[in-house]
This record gives sequence, C-alpha cells and structure tokens, in this order.
Amino acid sequence: MTSMTSMTSMTSAIRANTRLLRKKRMESFLEALLQDGLVFAPVRKGEMLLFERIESARDAVLGQRNTKNSPKSALFPQTERLFAYRHHKEGLAIEAASTGDKERVLFGVHPCDARAHLLLDRVFGGSTEDPYYAEKRRKAIAISIACTHPDPSCFCLALGGGPCSQEGSDLLLLDLGDSYLVEAPSERGRLLLEDKSFEDADEESFDKAELIKRTAESSMQPAAPLWEKATDEGMEKPLDALFDDPLWNDLTESCLSCGICTYLCPTCHCFDISDEAGAVTGERIRTWDSCQFPLFTRQASGHNPRPSAKERFRQRIMHKFSHLPKNVNMTGCVGCGRCVTECPVNLDFREVLLALSKNEAT
Amino acid sequence: MDNPYIPFPMRIEEIILETEDRKIKTFILGFMREEDRERFTYVPGQFAEVSVFGTGEAPFGMASTPTRPERLEFSVSTIGVVTGALHNMERGGIVGVRGPLGNGYPLESLQGKNLLLIGGGFGFSTLRSLTNYILHEKNRKAFGNLTVVYGARKPGLLLYKEDLELWRQRTDLKLHLTVDAEADGWQGHVGLVPDVVRSVAPTAGNTVAIVCGPPIMMKFTLPVVKDLGFSDENILFSLEMQMKCGIGKCGRCNVGSKYVCSDGPVFSQSQLAGLTGETHF
Amino acid sequence: MSSVSSMSQLTREIRESARKLLRDGQVQVVIGFERGSLPLRSRPCFVRREEDIDRLVWDGCCETNLARYLPKRKEKAAIVAKGCDSRAIVELIKENQVHRDQIVIIGVPCNGMIDGLLIEAKMGRGSIVEDEGSAEKLILKRTNSEEILDRTDFLHEHCKACTHPDPVLYDVLVGQPSAEAAKDTFSDVEAFGARDEEGRWAYLVHEVGKCIRCYACRNACPLCYCPECFVDASQPRWVGKSTELSDTMVFHLIRAFHLAGRCVACGACERACPMGVDIRKLNRKLQKDVKDLFNHEAGMSLEEASPLADFRVDDPEQPMVDP
Repeated sequence: MTSMTSMTSMTSAIRANTRLLRKKRMESFLEALLQDGLVFAPVRKGEMLLFERIESARDAVLGQRNTKNSPKSALFPQTERLFAYRHHKEGLAIEAASTGDKERVLFGVHPCDARAHLLLDRVFGGSTEDPYYAEKRRKAIAISIACTHPDPSCFCLALGGGPCSQEGSDLLLLDLGDSYLVEAPSERGRLLLEDKSFEDADEESFDKAELIKRTAESSMQPAAPLWEKATDEGMEKPLDALFDDPLWNDLTESCLSCGICTYLCPTCHCFDISDEAGAVTGERIRTWDSCQFPLFTRQASGHNPRPSAKERFRQRIMHKFSHLPKNVNMTGCVGCGRCVTECPVNLDFREVLLALSKNEAT
Repeated sequence: MDNPYIPFPMRIEEIILETEDRKIKTFILGFMREEDRERFTYVPGQFAEVSVFGTGEAPFGMASTPTRPERLEFSVSTIGVVTGALHNMERGGIVGVRGPLGNGYPLESLQGKNLLLIGGGFGFSTLRSLTNYILHEKNRKAFGNLTVVYGARKPGLLLYKEDLELWRQRTDLKLHLTVDAEADGWQGHVGLVPDVVRSVAPTAGNTVAIVCGPPIMMKFTLPVVKDLGFSDENILFSLEMQMKCGIGKCGRCNVGSKYVCSDGPVFSQSQLAGLTGETHF
Repeated sequence: MSSVSSMSQLTREIRESARKLLRDGQVQVVIGFERGSLPLRSRPCFVRREEDIDRLVWDGCCETNLARYLPKRKEKAAIVAKGCDSRAIVELIKENQVHRDQIVIIGVPCNGMIDGLLIEAKMGRGSIVEDEGSAEKLILKRTNSEEILDRTDFLHEHCKACTHPDPVLYDVLVGQPSAEAAKDTFSDVEAFGARDEEGRWAYLVHEVGKCIRCYACRNACPLCYCPECFVDASQPRWVGKSTELSDTMVFHLIRAFHLAGRCVACGACERACPMGVDIRKLNRKLQKDVKDLFNHEAGMSLEEASPLADFRVDDPEQPMVDP
C-alpha cells in the first residue's frame, strides 16, 4: 500500500511538470508571448525556413525540418554594436550599447540548437563574462519542439543529444497530432506552464508521447560513431596525436574556405571587432567572423599561421573536438547537420574524423 | 557588472621617437578619470588593447612599470592600420585603453630566482617593464642575479636608450646589448641575440630565462637556452598572435587549446610543448 | 536510342582517360567528381593513385566548377570540365593563372545539373535515400517508394538557359557532342531591365538582404582568385564588415564589376549560396553590356583579350588620357 502511494506521488511529481497545449491554442499563446517581449521563431522566406524575429503569431512555422540558419543569432546577432562614441571639446564620450534589456523568447527551436546554447553559455561566460550575450541569455526563454521525424542528415545522437532531448530548453513541445505534450525541464518553464493556455495531460497523451519519442530515436539508429574506436574518453587525445598526419592534406583539399559551415553552425562563435567612424561620432561593432576565412589569423606583419584551407579546416575540428572539451568540458558540436548539408562541396567532417580515426596510431 | 569591451579614455602626454627609422614610438599616456587610475593595476608582461576611435584597436605590451603607476607607456611599431593611425596622433590626443589583459610574468614564482631576460627588437617592451620593476628598490632584493640580453639590427634601432644608459651604470644587473653588424662607435656585442646568449653563457642554476622578440629570434633562442641547461619549466616565452577581443571569446588567437590573450601571452616551454597547434614560432 | 551518352557511359570514359593519364605519368592528379555523402550530391575529388580512379563519377550532381582548383597548383593536373568549366579555364589561361601545358582537360558535354532545391520542393526534404540518373530521367528512391522524374524539369535555371554546354577547350572529349544550343539573347536581362527603377531596386534590395557575407559565391568562383579580396582590405577599408545593406550591396556590386568581361556565367556562385541570393542578376547584366559594348564573350577564345584588360582604338569610350 505504501509503495504504491510513493510511486504515485513520484509519477505525479514528474507529471506536475508536463501539461498539454492544444494546437488551436498555439496562436493565442504566441500572441501573448509577443505582448511581453521579442519572439524569434522559424519563418518561411520563399523556399527557405529561417529563424528570425516575428511580429505576428501567424508568421511562425512549426514542425518542419530545421531552419537554414541557427537560433544563435537571437542571442549573438551577426552585427552588434558594442558602444558609440562622440568627440566633444572636453574630450570623448563613450556610451556602451544596451546589452539586452528585452525579454526574448526563442520559439520552435530544435533540441540540437537548444543544446548548442549550453556551449555558448560556457564560452561567453566564465571568469570574464561577455555582457552582450549573457544579458540576452538571462532574459531568454527557449521553447523547443522535439523532432518527431529527424532528417537523415541529423546526427545529434552521436554527440550526446537526441531528437527529444530537453537540454537547454525551458519548455519542450512534443507533437501528438492535435496537441503538444509540453515538458518543463527548467524553473522558468515550470512557471510558464501555469499559463491558462495549458491544460492537464491525460494518460493517453503520455503513452502516445512515449511511442513517438521511441520511434523518433530509433529512426536515427544505428548512430554511426564519429570515431572508429569509440571510447568514453573522447577524441581529444587521438586528435592531438594526429595533428600532423598528412591525411589532412587530402581530406581538406576541396574546401573553399568560405564561411557557410561556421555561420550556420549553432555553436560557432568567432567574431571580429571593427570601428565605423563619422567625423565626430562613431561606433564599435562586432560581426561574425570565421576561422575558415583566409585572413582570420593573418598578423599585421603579414605572417599567417594558417595559410591554407588545411590548417583552417583542421583548426575547426580541433576547436570543436579537442580544445572546447579541454577548456569548457563540452564538445563544440551538437550534430545538427547543417555544415554537412550546406557545404557547397559536401566536405563532410564526419568522414574526415572517421578517416583520421582509421589512421590512429596504436 | 563590468563590460570588458568598453575602453576608458587616456590622453597622450608625451610621444618619444625611439628609433632612427622613425618606425617605433613610445606613447606616454595619462589617465583622464580618477576611477580608471585607481582600478588599473598590472604586472609586467601584461598588455592592453589601445583604441584609436574610429580606426580600431590593437594590443600592446605594457612598456611602463607598475612601480610608476601614474602613467602608462606603450611602444608602437607602425606596421598596420591602427599603429599607423596612432603614429599620426599628437600630444593631447585621446585614445582608449582596455586592460590590463593577459597573465603577465609569474612574479611570485620568479622570486628568489636569478633571471635571464632575452629580448629582440621591438619585443623588448615588456622586458623593459620587468627590468624596471625588478630594479625598483622595493623589489630588487626579492630576485637574484639579473642578466639582460637585448639586441636590435642597428644601434639606432634600440629602444629605451635613456633606460639602457641608466642600467649600464648599475651594478645590480648585467646588461648585454648587441647589434647585427659592426657600427661606428658601437662598444657592445656584435651578433644575433641567440649567439650572444650562447657566448655570454649565463648559468642555468636557479635561473629562469624569459624570452620575447620576433618569432625567428625566439625560435633560435630556444635550443641555445636548452643547451645551457635550462629546463622547460624555466624557459618562458611571451607570444604574439592576431587578436581582437583580448579576453578569450572571439576565437582567433589560440595556440592549441590556449588563447594567447587570456591564458598567455606568457607561457613556459613545458606548457607550449604540450599544446597541439600550429607552430607559434 | 538516344544520341546522348548515358551517365554510366560517361563515367566509364572519364575513368579510362584518367587511368591512362595517371599511369603514363602525364599528370600527377586528376581533378574530378566523386559521389558525396548525401543523396543527390557529387563533389570534387582529387585522385593521385590508380587504385582510386574508380571514385570518379559523372552524373547530374557534378555542379562545382572545378576550374576553381587550378590557380597556384604546382602539379600537372587533369581536370574534368563541362562547357562552363572549360570557358573558365580559358579565362584563367589568359590571365596567367594556369599554363595550358600544365593541364589536361577531359571535356564532358553537359546536359545540365540538377537543382537540389527543386527536388526538395517536389519530394520533401530528407526523404530521398538513393538516386540514380540517366541522360533523361531521375530515379529517386525513398525508403518505401520510388519516383521517376524528367530531369529537364529539375535543372538549375541557368543550366536550362545554357548556351555552351560543350567544352570549348579540351584535350580529350568523352561522350557525344550536344545538339546545337540556342544563342544567348539576354532575354532575362532585358525582362528585368524593362521593370521600373523602383521595382528593380526593390528586387535587388530584397535579394542582397538575404546575404550573410559567407563569401561562398566568391570562393566558388574560378575567376575570384585574388590573394586579398577588396572586401577584406584594411588599407584602405573599402567595405564595412557588417550586414548593413549598403556594405553588402557594395560587395556584390563591386564583385560583379571585377568580374565584368571575365565571368562565364557558370552559376557556381548561385549554387554555392546557402541563402538563395540571385547573385547572377548583376553578372548577367554586365555580361550583356560587355557583349553590346565590346562584342566580346568571355571564355570563348584564348586569343581574344578580355575587354577590360585590353585597349583598342575603336573602344566605345574615350580614353582617360587625352592624346
């Protein structure tokens, strides 16, 4: 008798953080969010799905494949003012740009992209916090939609994520047909669940959800390992050992050194800082930059430690699979697949890793 | 919370033309706001990002010593956009400063040790800062013997000629200056810095070597100090890379998994040997 | 029986030529295509050993302009080239970026490359697991079904309008020459030019607004080989780094001008662009202007200098210097 009671109370505790949202209520729910702050969601632009700011709930397109660009631009815009300055007769006035004073909702995020924010949190956080990212992040809520039909090009499972992963989300919506089962993995999400748009979920909904989740995950199996001798230790050591392997020359030869992979990647964060000047006033801005661009590491002397695509492509791999794990204890890839599908020459880093791992010195 | 991207203003109080080719100037800056002066505490080996508003920012090692906190000094070689713009500025002009940045020389672990400072050309800035810091009466006793080897291509290209003259007259350091080729009136060494280090052959016993200069000089100095018996932990380098944010966020200046701006720019050879990355010199 | 060679026939002939060239030591590398890691993708591959020859394929997904890999190459190279690629090679030879005797051109008559976005619109994304192409048909397989499409319905727009499908310069020609292609009437340029100024500007603003400054267009272009592109120059800084409309518009305008008289309208830029920007709009206009003003078509002749790299007494504009 006692064990049944405690089991019931445990289940109710879990289920207390899960409710139901009928699809016909979605629009009014979104409209309410739009009243309180900025909302970013997938929108259709021509043939393309892009993650952008919306002004009306009807602009949001849900339940599709992932957007071409990643949601990172809602927290880390491609162009952002750092400060403005003005010369005056006593000297110079500097005005820091607002770092992010508005509430913002990232809506319809795929679980891989939600996870990516956890990596960006570590990079932009730490002992010296980046206020432009951090302030937006503190005021941001991620309402994600689980992937019930993952693309063949998705490989989140291989990177520790999953089509129904809750990591990085405040709410996770699972499409049941005419409604969503809504899980709240965070405190902020739990508060949102109290909104009148949500109702209690019934047993049938929970059962249906379980089946959908299992189907979604098994559709991605078997997840091909990224490294031939998959170990729990990660790829840092073997990658370090293979840094000078001549195989890099062949594997990277077709790379165009454009910025597509880095710009569309949800975890890439490199940026440039430049001044835009008028006669008396001006501003300092930061803009996305790419370690793939030929001049990224070129010094004023003209010396460039990464003079060809090989060094630059290798840097990207090392950064994501060796440096970031060492520095912030997280891999710099969530398996969204954009760099694989969007690369104009189909340079697939998974094949690069696998080829290297076959070359691993024993 | 502090915004690490916002510079504070400083006024150019003096500009010293250091070299005969007019390519290197030292800018002596004064604080414009009391709160900036109070907050700016640094150790030799650190650097700051100096802004020419409207043109951009560039990193420069602290050439001044923290024992004289009223002014900051940066030596600037005109090589690119920002350095060129700086060179065009005059006394009274306003620049921005973000800093101090980087780790600086590990003063605590250097105490009680003999020091061998090896500098080349324009890289001597932070070693000048360190030398003046050590020579200060409050600090001198904390360190052992001080040997400074500093070289430039020609006598007219040596920086800090006033300091060099003062140091020459002191007995608590050994100063070895060198130029690449014989020159009229030149009394010091003749030869490249690594060769002079080898010929001076300072003892490695309880000594830390600190090297800062052009990549090629550092590359050829390493085997020399190793031959002299310096262990990897006792050889320090101050590295340079293309930088932007200076705080380890923009992803540009890494050597392996370490950012030169925030984990460095000072690294020991044992740290560098353990990093997987493009060769840094 | 079609006079157009099948894809597998072309693949066989390309491999044969490549094998012979490598074996005889005539070249050190064969630059061609191999199957990609996703359905409907083929991609550049660099074959240096005979045992890798069978990686080479030819199909309707061989859309990269491989000429892009020629400048600064030190080895002798064989290169698989369709019509547009060979015209880019002609320009590169004229501009001394590659020596004629350093390359062996394996010419392939092209019947157009497939636009993956059109297939996606028709079939739904990610549903295709396998594809097979013939000269006329596209066989696309989903997990549980198959569909056979007419390939001509799914070609890139610029491939449909192509006026030079066959290589103009080659050492070996595989397959059969194509039927005579229509002449370029620049009807697309005229149609756009017929719109009113506001409409044209709005269109360009809309297109350029999609640009994310990834420079894939530039880097995929065989004629954009400058070690330092104007957009990256800092002394002086010609273009800002932000995605401000003015900066991005200037990038596209200046790049189009830098390519005037040199661009062979291969479409590599458009195909590389992840955001679907109509990049060729400006290039096509300048292509027409070059034809009208100088009666010149890029990539057709090794002897004819590019109009902007040449001077003639009867040039339409007055020279800058008054004699």
